[in-house]
Amino acid sequence: MASSTAPDLFAPMPDLDVAHGGPGYPTNTGISNTKLAMWLFLGSDCLLFGGLITTFLLYKDPLPGTGPGTDLFDIPFTSVSSFVLLMSSLTMVLAVAAIEKGDLRGNRIWLAATAGLGAIFISGQIYEFNAFYEEGLGYTTNRFSSAFYTLTGFHGVHVTAGIIMLLSLVWFSFRGMLNQERAEAVETVGLYWHFVDVVWIVIFAIVYLIPVAS
Amino acid sequence: MALTEAEPLALPSGEPAAANDSPLGVFTRPRTATGWRSWISTVDHKKIGILYGATAIFFLIVGGLEALLIRAQLWAPRSTLLSAENYNEVFTMHGTTMVFLVVMPIGAAFANYLIPLQIGARDVAFPRMNALSYWCFLAGGIFLNSSWLLGGGADGGWFMYAPNNGVQFSPTHGIDFWVLGLIMTGIASTVGSINLIVTVLNMRAPGMTLMKMPIFTWMTLVTQFLLVFALPVITVALFLLMFDRLFDANFFDVSQGGSPLLWEHLFWIFGHPEVYLMILPSFGLVSDMLPVFSRKPIFGYPFIVFSGVAIGFMGWGVWAHHMFVSGIGPVSVTVFSLTTMFIAVPTGVKILNWTATMWGGRLRFDTPMLFSIGLITMFTIGGLSGVSHAIAPADTQQTDTYYIVAHFHYVLFGGAFFGFMGGFYFYWPKVFGYRLNESLGKWNFWVMLLGFNLTFGPMHILGLQGMSRRIYTYDAGYGFELWNKIATIGAFTLATSVAMFIFNIFWSKKKAKDLPPPGPDPWDARTIEWMIQSPPPAYNYEPIPTITHVDDFWYRKYGETEDGRLVRIAKTEDLVQAGDATDVHLPSPSYWPLVIAIGLPFLGYGLIYSLWLALLGGLVIIVGIYGWLLEPPDDPERAHGHDHEPEELPTGDREIEPGAEPLPTRDKEVETVG
Amino acid sequence: MKGKHRLRSLFGGFVVLVITALVVSQVWASIFDNDGKPLTTLSPRGQYAQTIQNLVSPVFIIAGVILVLVMGAVLYIAFRFRERPDEDEIPAQLHGNTVLEIGWTLAPAAILLVVAVLTVATIADLEAREPDAMKVQVEGQQWWWAFRYDLNDDGVYDDPENDLITATELVIPEDTVVEIYTTGNDVIHSYWIPELNGKKDAVPGMRNFWKIQADEPGVYRGQCTEFCGLSHANMRMLVRALPRAEYNAWLANQLEPAVEPEEGSLAAEGKDVYLNQLCSSCHLIRGVNDEKVADPESGVESLLVSGIAPDLTHFSSRGTFAGSIFNSHYPDKPGATPEEVAACRAGENVAQNCGDPEDEALPGNPANPAYNVDLEDWLRDPTVMKPMAADDGRGMPNLGLGEDQIDALVAYLNSLK
Repeated sequence: MASSTAPDLFAPMPDLDVAHGGPGYPTNTGISNTKLAMWLFLGSDCLLFGGLITTFLLYKDPLPGTGPGTDLFDIPFTSVSSFVLLMSSLTMVLAVAAIEKGDLRGNRIWLAATAGLGAIFISGQIYEFNAFYEEGLGYTTNRFSSAFYTLTGFHGVHVTAGIIMLLSLVWFSFRGMLNQERAEAVETVGLYWHFVDVVWIVIFAIVYLIPVAS
Repeated sequence: MALTEAEPLALPSGEPAAANDSPLGVFTRPRTATGWRSWISTVDHKKIGILYGATAIFFLIVGGLEALLIRAQLWAPRSTLLSAENYNEVFTMHGTTMVFLVVMPIGAAFANYLIPLQIGARDVAFPRMNALSYWCFLAGGIFLNSSWLLGGGADGGWFMYAPNNGVQFSPTHGIDFWVLGLIMTGIASTVGSINLIVTVLNMRAPGMTLMKMPIFTWMTLVTQFLLVFALPVITVALFLLMFDRLFDANFFDVSQGGSPLLWEHLFWIFGHPEVYLMILPSFGLVSDMLPVFSRKPIFGYPFIVFSGVAIGFMGWGVWAHHMFVSGIGPVSVTVFSLTTMFIAVPTGVKILNWTATMWGGRLRFDTPMLFSIGLITMFTIGGLSGVSHAIAPADTQQTDTYYIVAHFHYVLFGGAFFGFMGGFYFYWPKVFGYRLNESLGKWNFWVMLLGFNLTFGPMHILGLQGMSRRIYTYDAGYGFELWNKIATIGAFTLATSVAMFIFNIFWSKKKAKDLPPPGPDPWDARTIEWMIQSPPPAYNYEPIPTITHVDDFWYRKYGETEDGRLVRIAKTEDLVQAGDATDVHLPSPSYWPLVIAIGLPFLGYGLIYSLWLALLGGLVIIVGIYGWLLEPPDDPERAHGHDHEPEELPTGDREIEPGAEPLPTRDKEVETVG
Repeated sequence: MKGKHRLRSLFGGFVVLVITALVVSQVWASIFDNDGKPLTTLSPRGQYAQTIQNLVSPVFIIAGVILVLVMGAVLYIAFRFRERPDEDEIPAQLHGNTVLEIGWTLAPAAILLVVAVLTVATIADLEAREPDAMKVQVEGQQWWWAFRYDLNDDGVYDDPENDLITATELVIPEDTVVEIYTTGNDVIHSYWIPELNGKKDAVPGMRNFWKIQADEPGVYRGQCTEFCGLSHANMRMLVRALPRAEYNAWLANQLEPAVEPEEGSLAAEGKDVYLNQLCSSCHLIRGVNDEKVADPESGVESLLVSGIAPDLTHFSSRGTFAGSIFNSHYPDKPGATPEEVAACRAGENVAQNCGDPEDEALPGNPANPAYNVDLEDWLRDPTVMKPMAADDGRGMPNLGLGEDQIDALVAYLNSLK
C-alpha cells in the first residue's frame, strides 16, 4: 500500500542557514534531520507491529475444527532463515563501515550481500507459506491463518522494501551519486534494515517459539 | 501507512549525474512562482498551509451540509426526508469528514504555516515530503467522498464497529472507500507529523530553546507525537478490516472466533489520542492569542506547556472509557474511569491559566479575542460533561445518547473550532495581507456562539431524557420534539455563521483595495512571526533572528525605564525585516509529490474494482518515487528570494521612550535541548 | 426627559426579566418534568438506576457550580479589565504564580479524588453478583430481542426442557433482582432500560453481566443504543414487571406449547398459512413446527426452523411486536379509572376505554383486546413498516400474502395467548 510514503529523508537543504540542518549541517539536537526522521518512522512502525502482534496473540489458536494451527511450524527451517536474516545485519554494518572509509567498491559489495541475504530470507518465507498452503492453511482458513499470514506478510513486505532500497543504493552508487560525504544515506537505510531484523527476532520468538514450546 | 517504505534517497545538489532537468523525461523542474503550476508543484510550507486550509474549508462545507441534512431529518418525528440507509451514510460521512478532513487538516494548515515562522526557520525539514502529505490528504479526501457517486458512502458510523463493518452487514462498497480513504489520509498525517517533529526539534532559530517556543508550536509538537504513535494503530485496524472485506480474512468474523472488541480497542487506542490531537493545536492558538489581546504574557508558561504534554501522555491511558458498557470487565472499567477523571486536571489547569492571563490585563475585544473567550467558556462546558462520562456508572446511562453528542461537540466545536476561527481572524492579515472585517467578524462570533449553543445545548437534555445516538428517526410521545426543533434551528443558525465567515473572506478582500495594508504587526503581537512582512516573503527570515525570550518580539518592542515603567523602546518598522533579501536559496518546487499522490486513488479503486487499475496506480507511485529520488533536489539557478519593495508601514505605534532599556532575559526560563 | 428614559429602561428591564423567567421556567419544566418521557434517565424506578442517580446528582451540582464560577470569573475579568480609552499604561507583565498554579492543580484533583472513591464503590455495587437472582440471557439481533430464561439455574440457556425462550418483551417479577447476560447474534447491540439501570452492550461471542430490578409493576421502555445497522432506530425494548402472582401465572402459561386453534375456525386457516407460506421457515411456534431432525452422521438433533426470527408461541401474550415498535394490543388509557380499565379489558367500547394505539409511546397491554391494524400492515409488507435488509437475510421479507391469508394469520396470531 504505502509504498507511496517515500519520505524524502535525504533531501538536502543546503540553502538553509547553518543552524538548520540538512546532512552535514548542525541541528538543534545534533542528530541530522534524516536520521531523526528515520527514528521517528521506526518508532511509529513499532506500534504498527505492536498492533499486528497483539492481533496474532489474540488469534494464535484457531477455533477447534477450523483447520491447522501452529503445529505446522517447521522450527529448524525457520531458524535457519532467521539466522540468514540476522547475518544480513552484519553485512549491513560492513557496508556502512566501507562507505565511511570511502571504500565505494566494498560498500557496493556489502550492500549487495545484504540484499542477497534478505532475498534468501524472503525466498524462505515464500517456500514456507507455500508449504503451509499445501497442508491446508490458506489465508482464509481460520483466524490463526489470517493473523499469521498478515503479521509475517507485513514483515516480509518490509524486508522486500529494504531489499529494493539496498539495490537502489547500489544503483545510485554505480551512477556516482553515493560517496563518502553521503555515507549517512547508507547509515539511515542501515537503521531501517536493523529495525526490520530486530522485529523479526520478536516475531520469531512470539509467533514460532512460544506457541510451539507451550 | 508505511509498509513498503521505499527508502528515500536523494542526491546532494549539483551532482553532475543528476543535473539534468527531467531525470525521467517527464517533467522539467518547475520554475514558476505564480499561477496554478506554482501551487501544484509548491514545496513552500506557507503555500501548503494555505492549501490545507482551503481544502479543509471546502470539506467543512461538505461536512456541514451533511450535518444540516441530519438536523433537517430530525426536525420532526418519523420524518421521511432521508431514508434509514441514507441517514446512516450521512452521519457516518459527517463524522468522518469533520474529524479527518476538517479539524485535523485545519490543525495541519496552522501547523504548516506557523511552525517554521514561529521557530524562525526557512521551511520545514523536508519540503517535498510536506507537499506529499498535502496531496495524499487531498487524494484521500476525494477518494473517500467519491463513494457518494459510486454507490453510497460508508454506513457504519465513524467508529465503524465490527462486525457491523463486515461485508455481510454492509454489502455496498461504502466501507471499502472509507477504509482505503482513511489509509491515504493516514499516510498524509504520518509523513506530515514526522516532518514537523523534525522541524521543531532540529530547526529552531539560535537561542530558541524548547522552553522559549511559542505555545502553539509546543502544542503542535505534542500533537504530532500523538499522530506518529496513534496512526499506526488505526492503520492496523484498517488493514485488518480491509483484508476481511476484500480478501475474506477472519479477523472480525465471530463464527471464526474473531473478536469485536479487538476492533474497539484498536480504534479507540487511536481514537482517544485523536481527540486530543484535534483540540491541542487550538489550545495552542488560544494560548498565543490571549496574551496579545490582554497585553500580558501567558500566565504560567511552564504550566501551560507541561499540562499540554501531560494531556498528551495521559491521553494514551484513557481509551477504554469509550467502552465502559462493552463488557471489558469491572477492573478495566474502574481503572479507565479513574484515569479519565484525572485527565481533567491538566485540562482544568489550562482553563484557569487562561483566565489568569486575562486578569490584570488591558483587554481588547477584537474578533480573535472573542473566539478565544468563547473557547474558554464553551470548552469548560464540554470538559465538565466529560467528567460526568468519566464516572463509569453515570456513563452507562449517558453513553451513545445525545448527551455524548453534546459533549464532544462542545469539545470539538466549542473547543477546537472556536480556536481555529479565532486563529483565522488573527492570522488572516499575516497570511493574506488584508484584514477580515472586524464588525462582520464580531457578528460572525455572536451568531456562531448563539447557533452553537442552540444546536448542542439541547442535546444534553435530549440525551439525559433518553434519546439514543445514530437513530435516523424517533417517535412522537417520547418528549423529543421540542429540543430537536430547537437544535435544528440552531444548526441552520450555525450554518449562517459559517457562511458569514466565508463571505467575510471575499468581501474583505474586495474592500481591502481601498484600505491601508495591515502591516507586519496589526495586533501589537508578541511572537516573532509578526516581525516579518505580511504576507511573509518566501524565505521567511533574513537574517534568522536570535531569540532571547518567550514572546521575543514583544521584548524587542518594549522595555523598562529607569523607574521601572514599561514603555515602548523601538518602532515596529525598525524591527521588522525589510523583506528585500535576494540571495536566499530555497528548495525548488517539484511535481513528484503530486504524482505519487495521484497513484493512490488508482490503487484504491483498483483494490475495489479491478486489480489492473491497482497495478496502474502502483506503477504511478513507483515512477513517482524514483522520479523524486532522481530529481535534483535543488536548482541553483532559481528559487532565490524575490525582491520586495519595503511596504509603507502604518505608524501610530506607541511613543518611543528614549533611554529605556530592553528587559533582561529571565533566569527562570529553563535551558533545555539545543 | 430623563425620568421618562429611566421609566422606559425600567419597563424594558421588567419585560426582559419576565421573558427570561418564562423561558427559564419552561426550560426547567421540560428538563425535569418526566411525564411523557418513557426513556428519561432522570427518573429512576429501580434500585440500580437509583444508585447511579445518587452518584451523579451531586456531581452535576458540583459541575454546575464550577461552570457558574468559571463563566462568572471570565465575564467579570472581561468587564473589569476591558481596555478603557483613557488609560495607556502597559499592564504589568506577570509571568505566573507557582503557588497559585499548584493550588489550582491540586484543588480539582482533590474534588476528583472524592468523586473517584464514590465511583469505585458504585461500580463495585453495580457489578456485584446476586446469589439468588433470576437469570435471563438477553440476545440482540437485527432488529429485535430474544430472551432465554434459565429456569433450572444451571447456567445453560438453550435447553428447551428447562428453559424458556421468548422474544420482544422481557417479563420480570416486581421488586426482584434479575441478572441479565447480554449477547449479540449478529452485530453489537446495547440493552438499555433507562429507568431500571444503565446499558450493557450485547456483543457477539461474549456474555456480558448486567442486572435490573423494578420497584413497582409497570412497563419500562428502552432503545438500542449501539449502532446496529439499518433499523437501529427501530430496535426498542420493553420490560414488563408484574406482581409476583401474575408473573407466576405468566410463566406457567409460557411453558405450555401453543394453543391449538379450533378446527374449521379462521385461526386454523391461519395456522395453515403459517405452515405453508414460509413463516415457519424462520419463526418457531412450540407444538407446531418445533420438530427436530438428527444429523445422520453425528446423531446430534437440531431444529429444522432457522430461529432467526422471533419465537411466536405466545405472540398474543405480548403487547408489542417487531422490536416493540408496533402495538399488537390496545394500550391502557393514561390515567384511566378502574372502571375504564375493566371495560377496556372486556373489549367494551375500546375507542373510549382504551388508549390510542397510534400513540407510539403507549405500549400495548396483552390484557386488552388485540389491536390488529399495524399487524395487518406488517403482514402486507413488513419492509414498508420498518427498513430491513431482507434480501440479505436480515429482517422479514415481503411474503406477498393475500388479504384472506392476512386475516387468517392475524386470527391465528391473536389466538396464541
